[in-house]
Amino acid sequence: MAERARPAAGAGRSPVLKRRSDLGIVLKVGALALVVLGAAPFFLDIYSVNILIRALFLAALALTVDLLWGYTGILTFGQSAFFGIGAYACALVFTHWGFGAGWAVLALALGIVAAMAVAALAGWLAFYHGASPLYGSIVTLALPIVLTQVVFAGGRTTGSSSGLSGFPTYYWTIEIWFWVAGAFLVVVTGLAWLFVRSDMGRILVAIKENETRCAYLGIPVPRIKILLFVVAGGIGAIAGFGYAAFTNVVAPELTGFLLGTELLIWVALGGRGTLIGPVMGAILIDVTSSYLSGGLPFYWKLLVGILFVVVIVALPQGLMPVVANRWRRLVRSAENEAETPVLEVASPRDRAHDEEQPLDVRNVHRNFGSLQVLQGIDFIANKGELLSLVGPNGAGKTTLIRCLADGHERSGGDIAIYGQALGRWPPDRCVALGIGRKFQAANVFATLTVAECLRVARYRLDRPSVWARKSVLALPEAALRIVEETGLAKTLEVEARQLAHGQKQALELAMVLALEPSIVLLDEPTAGLTRVERERIGAILTSLTERERLSILLVEHDLDFVREISSRVIVLHQGRIVLDGSVEDVVGSDLVRQIYSGGVYGERSEES
Amino acid sequence: MNAPTIRLGISGLTSGYGEAIVVRGVNISVAPGEIVALLGKNGMGKSTLLKTVMGFLTARSGRIMLDGSDITGVPPHRIARQAVAYTPQEQAIFQDLTVGDNLRLGQPEAAWFDEELARIGQVFPFLLERLGQRAGTLSGGEQKMLLIARALMARPRLMLVDEITEGLQPSIIERLANALVAERKRTGVSMLLVEQNIRFALDVADRWTVLKVGEIDDEGDSADQDAAARIAGHLLV
Repeated sequence: MAERARPAAGAGRSPVLKRRSDLGIVLKVGALALVVLGAAPFFLDIYSVNILIRALFLAALALTVDLLWGYTGILTFGQSAFFGIGAYACALVFTHWGFGAGWAVLALALGIVAAMAVAALAGWLAFYHGASPLYGSIVTLALPIVLTQVVFAGGRTTGSSSGLSGFPTYYWTIEIWFWVAGAFLVVVTGLAWLFVRSDMGRILVAIKENETRCAYLGIPVPRIKILLFVVAGGIGAIAGFGYAAFTNVVAPELTGFLLGTELLIWVALGGRGTLIGPVMGAILIDVTSSYLSGGLPFYWKLLVGILFVVVIVALPQGLMPVVANRWRRLVRSAENEAETPVLEVASPRDRAHDEEQPLDVRNVHRNFGSLQVLQGIDFIANKGELLSLVGPNGAGKTTLIRCLADGHERSGGDIAIYGQALGRWPPDRCVALGIGRKFQAANVFATLTVAECLRVARYRLDRPSVWARKSVLALPEAALRIVEETGLAKTLEVEARQLAHGQKQALELAMVLALEPSIVLLDEPTAGLTRVERERIGAILTSLTERERLSILLVEHDLDFVREISSRVIVLHQGRIVLDGSVEDVVGSDLVRQIYSGGVYGERSEES
Repeated sequence: MNAPTIRLGISGLTSGYGEAIVVRGVNISVAPGEIVALLGKNGMGKSTLLKTVMGFLTARSGRIMLDGSDITGVPPHRIARQAVAYTPQEQAIFQDLTVGDNLRLGQPEAAWFDEELARIGQVFPFLLERLGQRAGTLSGGEQKMLLIARALMARPRLMLVDEITEGLQPSIIERLANALVAERKRTGVSMLLVEQNIRFALDVADRWTVLKVGEIDDEGDSADQDAAARIAGHLLV
């Protein structure tokens, strides 16, 4: 069994360091990067420094694309729009209003605010509940095109297709500009690094992996995506502002769709989801392009294109992971230091509800087109009840579970949870009401480790930090028991996709219980588990109903299992409730025998 | 061609994911018309073994022979063309195709399709009524039935079946057991079944093998008096 601290009830908090962040290493690496950048202008010719300054600003923009696409899975073509907004804010204010420190601050603030407002609007359109991923891509594709048109339509004010140039700006020496751009990139990269390595950063990856599971863990996916989009838009605007102030030229291309797409190429070449890769990719490609476009004006785009195809075919992950692997082999010590979190019992929360009937379902029906899958479902689930839902395959069991966990699912009827109408609430708000749902097919986050999956499930209750990681994983007793009794405690650092099917089932069950739900919906939670494991899970479930007075709704085919753990059984047949009663009444009834069990597999088996 | 005595011969097979070795030096042979059940706790390498035989994972060492020819390292689509049907544990049906089209992919030969459909319809009558329905709208258990129906329709010589009874109602499990045994009798198909349902496994299979941490821990005949007890014992520890 894995070592873990289990503080005795009432004892003080364990002295273990509660949070870890990479602040130390980020400061060290950041300082080193600043020294290198500080010295660089003295070793490079003016032309190189010039193009590097541009590249540094663009690299910060590529970084935001990596946050959105590489980490969160939002394929955005429109990050150039925010860069353009920042650039035009600078050019417009300096050209038309005035120049000076005050005006510069105003222009920067205007750019950021405008970019964030546009990002919020576009984000809302792209990510509201029910929008498909394609939607987001199309909105971000349209955004730069629309903005370019706005610039074209601006006439003298925006300079139309020729843009604005020659506006007053800070004519600092080239070294100072280089340091400003470099420091900006280092700061943004450092913050982004802390962010993606924090507990919140894992939530982003979880969203990329499996948005549905996230929503059913109470994670407000649309809100997180919109917020991230807004922040990325703000950073993009700062980069654009700097770029315009330095080059002293803005053109419609800066907001354009072409730049937006090039950013994706840089990120893909550098390595999605690595931060450093996209930054390096942007700098390398932009600088090489500048050199080559002088020598080979017609061929350089072709060369970059060929390079892109070669890298994507040969190294689908991009260049950075290859470099990182080499590096890791060189310095094997510190990097591989295991960071397995310590398991701990979460202090139990008061359950605010006293009502005896947490779940009240009235006349619920569900149609798929003309097919009536559920008709007039009426039942009340009581506190401390383990209610099993049995019925033939295709009777509507999973559909009923779905209707209870997502307000959009049912075609009609009313569901009340602790007296509160479920309405048309999305799954993450149903979780807040106390509903936890386990899917029929194991549904976990493939590339996250077991510990990370469990941590993600604690989002709603633990509020993850955006810059640090907790070194303790506090889970409620029941979830912890599942983790330990199914051997998951030994595989906390294993990626979920490498688990066997049954272990994935156990992990998902533990994740659902980590939500501390008061109504638990379990769709065949023990499918793929051995009988012994089933019995263990059965014991945990019954103790949850008896000790913590939870209501559990269980879909299950193993009638032995149902008989052992249920306090009540509902039989569904062709979308209707045909029986509702005690275990003995239902399981032994002729009706169940006739429509459901029959034969040897329905009888009590002797094995184990 | 003389009739081979071994349909599927696995010898010294080792395989796994990345750095993790999951199956270690396993030897199993399945005779023509024989059904072998593979049991064991979770994470012991049962599904990994099937995936390696089917070519989805590369064998680190060892050999896999199908009717005397070496299929180690052959890609899955070529193995499938040699009349090997695989039903994975995750419901691998085409969600957006109709039930009928899913079945047609199992048996593309139009002349045989109707005949096979009629036979499979006797085991799972609901499939005949739902041929035009989108497969993704079937319930979980119904998708499982579609999956095994598609494999049976392919007239395979070897079936690799991964926990097919999971999520099926008891009366269907019984019908499925009878159907598998009848199919073996009719066509001489061999099967390697991964199962958690010991009773189903012993009813259908001729022999059983228990896998533990990637190695064979115990094996025997299904007819043995103590088979169920021995297997249950292995699943306990």
